[in-house]
Amino acid sequence: MATTRRSTRISATAGHDENILGVNANGRVTRAKAAALDTQLITGQGTQSALVAKEVNGGQIKGRKRAALGDVSNVHKEAGPGEKNVKQHAAKIVKTATSTNVSRSRAPRTVNDSITDEEASVQIKKNSSTSVASGTRKRRAPLKPITIATAAQRAAKPRSKSSASSLVDEIIDEEFSDGNKENEDPILVDTVERVSSESQDAATTEPDKHGEAMPDWDDLDADEMDDPTMVAEYVNEIFDYMKELEIRTMPNPRYMDEQRDLQWKMRDILIDWLVEVHTKFRLLPETLFLAVNIVDRFLSLRVVTLDKLQLVGITGMFIAAKYEEVFSPSIQNFVYVADSGYTEEEILRAETFMLQVLDFNLSYPNPMNFLRRNSKADNYDIQTRTVAKYLMEIALLDHRFMRYYPSRVAATAMYLARVILERPPWDKNLIHYSGGYTEEMIEPVCNLMIDYLVKPVKHEAFFKKYASKRFLKASILARQWAKKRVEQIPLPSDLNIDSDEAEEQEST
Amino acid sequence: MSGSSSQYQQLEKLGEGTYATVYKGRNRTTGELVALKEINLDSEEGTPSTAIREISLMKELKHENVVPLYDVIHTENKLNLVFEYMDKDLKKYMDSRGDHGALDYSTIKSFMHQLLQGIAFCHDNRVLHRDLKPQNLLINNKGQLKLADFGLARAFGIPVNTFSNEVVTLWYRAPDVLLGSRTYSTSIDMWSAGCIMAEMYTGRPLFPGTTNEDQLQKIFRLMGTPNERSWPNISQLPNYRSNFPVYATQDLHTILPQIDPLGLDLLCSMLQLRPENRLSARDALKHPWFTEYNTLRRPAQGLDMPMHPSTGLMGPPQLPSTYGM
Repeated sequence: MATTRRSTRISATAGHDENILGVNANGRVTRAKAAALDTQLITGQGTQSALVAKEVNGGQIKGRKRAALGDVSNVHKEAGPGEKNVKQHAAKIVKTATSTNVSRSRAPRTVNDSITDEEASVQIKKNSSTSVASGTRKRRAPLKPITIATAAQRAAKPRSKSSASSLVDEIIDEEFSDGNKENEDPILVDTVERVSSESQDAATTEPDKHGEAMPDWDDLDADEMDDPTMVAEYVNEIFDYMKELEIRTMPNPRYMDEQRDLQWKMRDILIDWLVEVHTKFRLLPETLFLAVNIVDRFLSLRVVTLDKLQLVGITGMFIAAKYEEVFSPSIQNFVYVADSGYTEEEILRAETFMLQVLDFNLSYPNPMNFLRRNSKADNYDIQTRTVAKYLMEIALLDHRFMRYYPSRVAATAMYLARVILERPPWDKNLIHYSGGYTEEMIEPVCNLMIDYLVKPVKHEAFFKKYASKRFLKASILARQWAKKRVEQIPLPSDLNIDSDEAEEQEST
Repeated sequence: MSGSSSQYQQLEKLGEGTYATVYKGRNRTTGELVALKEINLDSEEGTPSTAIREISLMKELKHENVVPLYDVIHTENKLNLVFEYMDKDLKKYMDSRGDHGALDYSTIKSFMHQLLQGIAFCHDNRVLHRDLKPQNLLINNKGQLKLADFGLARAFGIPVNTFSNEVVTLWYRAPDVLLGSRTYSTSIDMWSAGCIMAEMYTGRPLFPGTTNEDQLQKIFRLMGTPNERSWPNISQLPNYRSNFPVYATQDLHTILPQIDPLGLDLLCSMLQLRPENRLSARDALKHPWFTEYNTLRRPAQGLDMPMHPSTGLMGPPQLPSTYGM
């Protein structure tokens, strides 16, 4: 029984990935075909799915686990005796997992307790100079395992009555103090302007506006009336609604201003590590996007100490998997990948707290939805979509994209992927099915993407993931293209709004 | 969304589900009755995914045919969802009101219209309910019907991802799901709606199967056994057997003699074996059977028929003469 469940989950994940789906002559994938393939996987070859299961269980645990915090504090240990210990432990877990094929296998946690303690002490030592409350780690207050400065304390700060756009106010929870520097700081003003122009974009891109009189795009949904998974009857209502939701689930792109203990580069490390965890667990793409959105919205609302950052990350992934996956990995897997830096109890308390802070709002319309919709307009070109997926994930890693809506990021990724692959120009259908984004609207985001591509690789796990054959070596391809292109057409100089931070990064 | 449990007085138990217990409750400040759904948090895995989805989705879905979620009280080992209090579920309503469970024409039509409006709203908002059955449709004494229990519900993208096959209570489970399909979408809820409509006419479940296999047999016996010709690619579904007993399609009228031709037409459109042929909730609402809800009618008075809550109009005082029974 357990075996079936496990392998079903794996086929579900596998079937989901477009890169290994059935593709017909013109490169088009239909969900029905995917389903057919999928079902073969489940029923037909029992041995094969067992193999897949094995591989997944192995892959899940194989490889060196990175403690994000260890990296933050620049502790880079070569494989010492402790490392060996971890590997043995890993082997043990692989065994248990494959023999029962359930993710519930309980491995004795004492095995690497010694390492954990050692590392923890290093962390606390490292953090004690900067962190006010490293002691909170062991605190057992039921509802506030993470908060250092609560809303009440922060509310003591005066709130500025600024002329900032209402959208910014909307996306920033009232508990999140804007401080009083909004009007003086040029960077912040720029941010506000960008965000508000984004809201105008959304207003002018209502698909209906194109439609009313004489649509200049083709109704591609009509062809799909026969495919129930395309939900052609509801597709327009659903995308209108997703456009509404993306406004409601925006994080505050300036939350780092309020985080005393954190910097953007720590988020970089955290998200890159989450990409790695996500790949190891073989989760759905949606889960990664939701997890990062959960983390960013939480950090927009609560101040977190450095030693809790990884807890926020792993718990975000734990919650996202519960929401998105058919069978989500058990909590022990999460404890394990975080190198037992946190206990199950800590993750569970963080879960309760984060769900409360986010008011259980997990209705994030992640960019995969918009990308898939957009793909309709190029007949589901699999190559374009794979490169676009890589480009779209850049927006997860690089915080400068946080101010843009998922639909805009998806449109940009699609656009740039087509440029890289030398596909025909951005036409009316592509505009329409991207949600109305024209080249002009895409340009600033696109330049930012190219800027990311020409810089040295900052996110190793992310780069490696997309350098694989499975993803058509998208990260290598895109970077090579960007280098050539920037030699010919340099990027505008005012691009990097966080120039301070970028300089700092280069100097270290 | 941050009430404390002391704000509500817990009264008698209303029901017990797989992962929750529902109590009647009273708001201590306002005196208002509520339903308290108590969910135990798993000491190992924390907040159940069913609860995470249910709360997240219910907080978005505000519609007169979806039971409103007022509050969530999160304590260390329990989660209490506070819902609007509804008098009965449709199952109990049928048992108490109907003639051996069967309901009258205008009640059925009003309930179907409300059910379909609730479903259409969910689908517009990219949510599949995945567990529609009389026990999950709540009725109040104003004759309003609301969808409840979104524990199995989930948001979908387009194209719809492959989801779990273990959804919907057996009797209301669509044939494609019974055959093992995991690429179902909105049509999964429409099959359930069809089963519920038939049940309101007879007072008995339309397909009360005991196992997956038996459920399929009961469906085929009435709707006819599908084959590659009537349902292309059916043989690729995991639970398909080439040796299914072959039944001819029966006339639904023989088991539902009381149904009028238009109602029968609507019912048949929802009970299509092939998911792609099943009517959508939006289209069902435009079906001529609902003409009186779609065109303004003068309010009839003095009849003890349930008021249709959304239009404020009465159900039809008599059947249209052309469709007399």
